[in-house]
Amino acid sequence: MFDDIRVGFVSALSSVKRGNKKTLIFIIFVLALIFMNLIFLPSFIGGISGMFTNFMKYPYGDIVIEPGENNIYINNADNVLQKIRAVPNVKAATKRLDVGASIEYNQKVVGSTITGLLPSEEYDISNYPYIIKEGEFLGDLAQDEIIIGAMLVEGYFGSEIYDNLGGVRVGSLVNVTYSNNVERTYKVKGIMEGTFELVDLNALIHYKEIEDVFGLNESKATSVVVKVQEEADSKEVKEKIISVGVKEPISTSDEKSDAILRQAMQSIDMINVVSNLVSLIVGAALIFIIIYINTLNRRREIGILKAVGITPNSIRISYIFISVFYVIMGIFAGLILYFILMFYFTKNPVIFYETIRLTPEIQGGLIIKSIFTMLIMSVIAGFIPAWFVTRKSILEAIWGR
Amino acid sequence: MSKKEKTIIKVENLVRHYDSGIIVKALNGVSFNIKEGELIMIMGPSGSGKTTMLRILGLLDKPTKGKYTINNLDVVDLPEEERNYYRLTQLGYVFQDYALINEMSASENVSILSLMEGKSKKESFLTAKEALEKVGLGDKLDRVPNRLSGGEKQRVAIARAIAKKPKILFADEPCANLDTQTSAQVLEVLNNLNKKFGQTIVMVTHENWHTKYASRIIQLRDGLIVSDKARRDGFK
Repeated sequence: MFDDIRVGFVSALSSVKRGNKKTLIFIIFVLALIFMNLIFLPSFIGGISGMFTNFMKYPYGDIVIEPGENNIYINNADNVLQKIRAVPNVKAATKRLDVGASIEYNQKVVGSTITGLLPSEEYDISNYPYIIKEGEFLGDLAQDEIIIGAMLVEGYFGSEIYDNLGGVRVGSLVNVTYSNNVERTYKVKGIMEGTFELVDLNALIHYKEIEDVFGLNESKATSVVVKVQEEADSKEVKEKIISVGVKEPISTSDEKSDAILRQAMQSIDMINVVSNLVSLIVGAALIFIIIYINTLNRRREIGILKAVGITPNSIRISYIFISVFYVIMGIFAGLILYFILMFYFTKNPVIFYETIRLTPEIQGGLIIKSIFTMLIMSVIAGFIPAWFVTRKSILEAIWGR
Repeated sequence: MSKKEKTIIKVENLVRHYDSGIIVKALNGVSFNIKEGELIMIMGPSGSGKTTMLRILGLLDKPTKGKYTINNLDVVDLPEEERNYYRLTQLGYVFQDYALINEMSASENVSILSLMEGKSKKESFLTAKEALEKVGLGDKLDRVPNRLSGGEKQRVAIARAIAKKPKILFADEPCANLDTQTSAQVLEVLNNLNKKFGQTIVMVTHENWHTKYASRIIQLRDGLIVSDKARRDGFK
């Protein structure tokens, strides 16, 4: 067997080294496209999936506690927070108050949801402090400042398809009329952009300000948002929170996104599965056809090798080596192409539904799975045609009779 | 019995019929013996069964009927793996159209058989070098077939066949694609192998002038031997 492998390797090496370079380049190019086909579309679909999951983190963190049925607020949210913070694997937790309001600037008025939050607590919980494109995030002391979403500001991505506040900028004064008709004026401290409507059409204000405006006391909240430790499982933490006596409805962000996006995600997942399967079958068939034709073209050579006493096993191993070499080169070229395209689409996202910038997600697992699949296919595609041809008689292989 | 008189090949009533819609009777009962050290030329018109017989003798094909032994071993019914091993270790075959691997250099075309026999890479290269020097191609070890002339290609094919020092060397019209001068060079190589090293050679040819190198000439017609004569005025 060792001699078979050795001869197979030497034979394959000379075939690759001195074979037709144009054919070699063509085969590698086609294999690179096959590999690309396996990973490119799923990367985009993965991007969509990842994007929706990330969007859910803004309003819901990892776990969210909301008022029970028929309640507008969670009463005594501080008590709930105290219980939650004592639960193992809870990294941070905070309370929020969401209210409806209209914002006016230079006679332009837009309706918006304003979230009242505790600025310093948000750093450990949400992305809000990290998506400030202009100005700064809210401070803990100032109640007369507001952060507005980018789609409310003229010139930002997506602002053209919604009513916006025109040329409002950091430092501008805006008038906010709340749903209880209280009017307040705030200075714009920052503009946030999360490339997601639920974030970019909203505004953020200090929690205490909302309490003042609505005359709330005893730490009311419309939601309590929890961030869990990296390695922790949200579902397990949720169970523990229930066990410490929190009575309000509790959901993980996955459950929330399931509820909101279940249908969309199911469709996307199905497209992903079908696309992966089709790519895999098409890829496998193409690899097989390319290697098969290549091997059949060398039928005479195989006959000669057999005639001079080279074992059929050596010949088969030689074609497996050749096939694996083609595929490795194809994968390598495909990866280069893939990363070039990933780089391009990361810098130039695909615009989706006018307001969403879709960037592909590089999925290591998928790439490894695809490489593994291609390599298995290369072994099969190299072996089967060589096996067919080596089974033929020498006369048939060399002279076709 | 002297070494030269030892019978190495025995063929009895060899028949080969092809069935390709109609039955083609290539060999119709051929019997002869070959002694060690002979240089036999098989002659005859097209379709007389020369090449068919050589392919059977070289274990590239099987007879429809008949007995064929090499050193008293019945090689017809050997399993395919053993026939393959026998071809590798005991027989050499020179094809009419060289049958070289175009992507391998001259030395690789020759050394691959030694590698298959289990020799080291270095040992295989040295064996190939020795064989190529024997046929006068010691300076063209790294040339690929496309950069060799017809005569040189045929000499590489001969080197490949003799590198493993086979018991018997078969050559199927080795000069068919060569001009007269190159043919003479190739025949000289074969003659030298026979004369200097005692190599048993069975060669198919249709050129009468080639027979001056033969120790024995077998004439075939319609799949039968019509004449089998030793040459007394040849190099032997």
